[in-house]
Amino acid sequence: MEILALDSIAKSYGKIQALKQVSFAVPEGSVFGILGPNGSGKTTLLSIILDVLKADGGSYNWFGRGSSPEIRKDIGSLLETPNFYHYMSAVNNLKITHQISGRGDNAAIDKVLKQVNLFERRKSKFSTFSLGMKQRLAIAAALLGDPKVLVLDEPTNGLDPVGIAEIRQLIKILKDKGHTIIMASHLLDEVEKVCTHVAILNKGKLITNGMVEEVLTVEDLVELSASNLSQLESVLQNYPGVKHLKTEGSYVYAGFEKGISNLAEINNFCFSNGIVLHHLLLKRKKLEARFFELTSNANEQAN
Amino acid sequence: MLNLIKTEWLKIKNYRAFWWVLGITALSYPGINYIFYNAYLDITKKKDSTGEIAKMLLGNPFEFPETFHTAGYFSSFFVFIPAIVVIMMITNEYTFKTHRQNIIDGWSRDQFLLSKFFDVLVTTILVTVIYFIVAVAIGFNSSKGEGKEIWSKSYYVGLFALQTFSQLSIAFLIGFLVRKAFIALGIFIFYFLIVENTAVNILKFKGSNLGYYFPLEVSDRLIPVPAFLGKFDEKNYKLSLEAVTPHIFYTLIFTAVIWGIVYYINKKRDL
Repeated sequence: MEILALDSIAKSYGKIQALKQVSFAVPEGSVFGILGPNGSGKTTLLSIILDVLKADGGSYNWFGRGSSPEIRKDIGSLLETPNFYHYMSAVNNLKITHQISGRGDNAAIDKVLKQVNLFERRKSKFSTFSLGMKQRLAIAAALLGDPKVLVLDEPTNGLDPVGIAEIRQLIKILKDKGHTIIMASHLLDEVEKVCTHVAILNKGKLITNGMVEEVLTVEDLVELSASNLSQLESVLQNYPGVKHLKTEGSYVYAGFEKGISNLAEINNFCFSNGIVLHHLLLKRKKLEARFFELTSNANEQAN
Repeated sequence: MLNLIKTEWLKIKNYRAFWWVLGITALSYPGINYIFYNAYLDITKKKDSTGEIAKMLLGNPFEFPETFHTAGYFSSFFVFIPAIVVIMMITNEYTFKTHRQNIIDGWSRDQFLLSKFFDVLVTTILVTVIYFIVAVAIGFNSSKGEGKEIWSKSYYVGLFALQTFSQLSIAFLIGFLVRKAFIALGIFIFYFLIVENTAVNILKFKGSNLGYYFPLEVSDRLIPVPAFLGKFDEKNYKLSLEAVTPHIFYTLIFTAVIWGIVYYINKKRDL
């Protein structure tokens, strides 16, 4: 089942087109990363699906039931910055979240405060919190009442490395419990480590989306090594299906169409041509490299 | 509906500035009335004939039932004090971006606005209660229990509430549009103290009635100058008493228009 479906969402701020006909769907149980550089439209997109901003065009659909305040009550959300009443304590702020959304109760408030390590400071005013603590309270508010769907905009903003690792762990636990998480981030490492699906935005345009595995692999890149690299390279030139070959450092890289490389066959082929491989690996492209590739392609096309 | 009130109560209950302002209001209403009450006593207690003449001429504006009128008139000078809290309560939401969070958490935009409408209503009720207590306290203090129709002018309580609500709605509109607390406060106070007074008086001087329909003046005319001040210009006083009824309608229409504008903008604009 689809948790959320976007259809041709468009939004402009004056002359600037913040979103250009963005469409994709978020499957149930996925950790869906929305990636993009600063100003690519991530927060605008999340603001639209939470009815904070009005789209100029297109539509979105939660749980196949459209969009309504009642639907939002069942979604735990953190948008852009932690938004709380500065003069109120952590507990009272969460009471407001509970009052409006109907999620959780007093016990649940204590539980989420413990979950984000703010229980000791629950009676302190929000204005006395550090940036990281504010962020953790916002995560607590999103988690209140254990909603099945979470929308998290840059959830690790302002957190220290321990905090970041904790959030990552938390997201993994929620995913294992079957929750769906929609997460915007510009931290590629973060997305790569926790997301199952990804959509990449650049200057308001959706460049690609799908499962992380699919988006990352455009081709099979096989990394090989043997004692004589030049001999290895020339042998591989005769191997069927090789698209390109390159020697870099102590490895030869061979590119194949996506999904057709067969490591056992390559090994066999090399051995029968008198080469003993001492390294053979199917490389997955790092999200970072793929991201730069995609966004720079998009920029070139735009120019 | 109950949920909205409960949520707003949580916000207000913990907002210290609200209680401070309410406290200041609770001091300023009796304060201003007490000053005029004392001035009246000073003039009338003179043993010579001036005191007697003054008493005859002025009547006792602080006796029942005239106290409702007199106290309402003086108290309404200080509407800018609760206006501060009304402006703070709406601009706080923008400063803290909680106007977004309330929507994200599951209120509709209309519910958010309704909750703010409650804030203005509750402030109006509290301020009216303070005025009512002051009017009654002064009334009992200065009446000699002659069994007059004590409550015959208590309709001024309703007029005071309507006037306050209307003027606080203007403060709300400014806070709602400007979003920044201090700019909104500045605009309201500047308009309240200087712009409208000047404009209305210039128009009056030029013999135009147009000033009567200015945003604050339209409801200011719900409570005309107290009877004893009216004695200086009987003809005008009579006219201003006659103007009360039409101005009830003008005020209701004007206030409805304000909330209509707010409703429309809130529905359309990005948060």
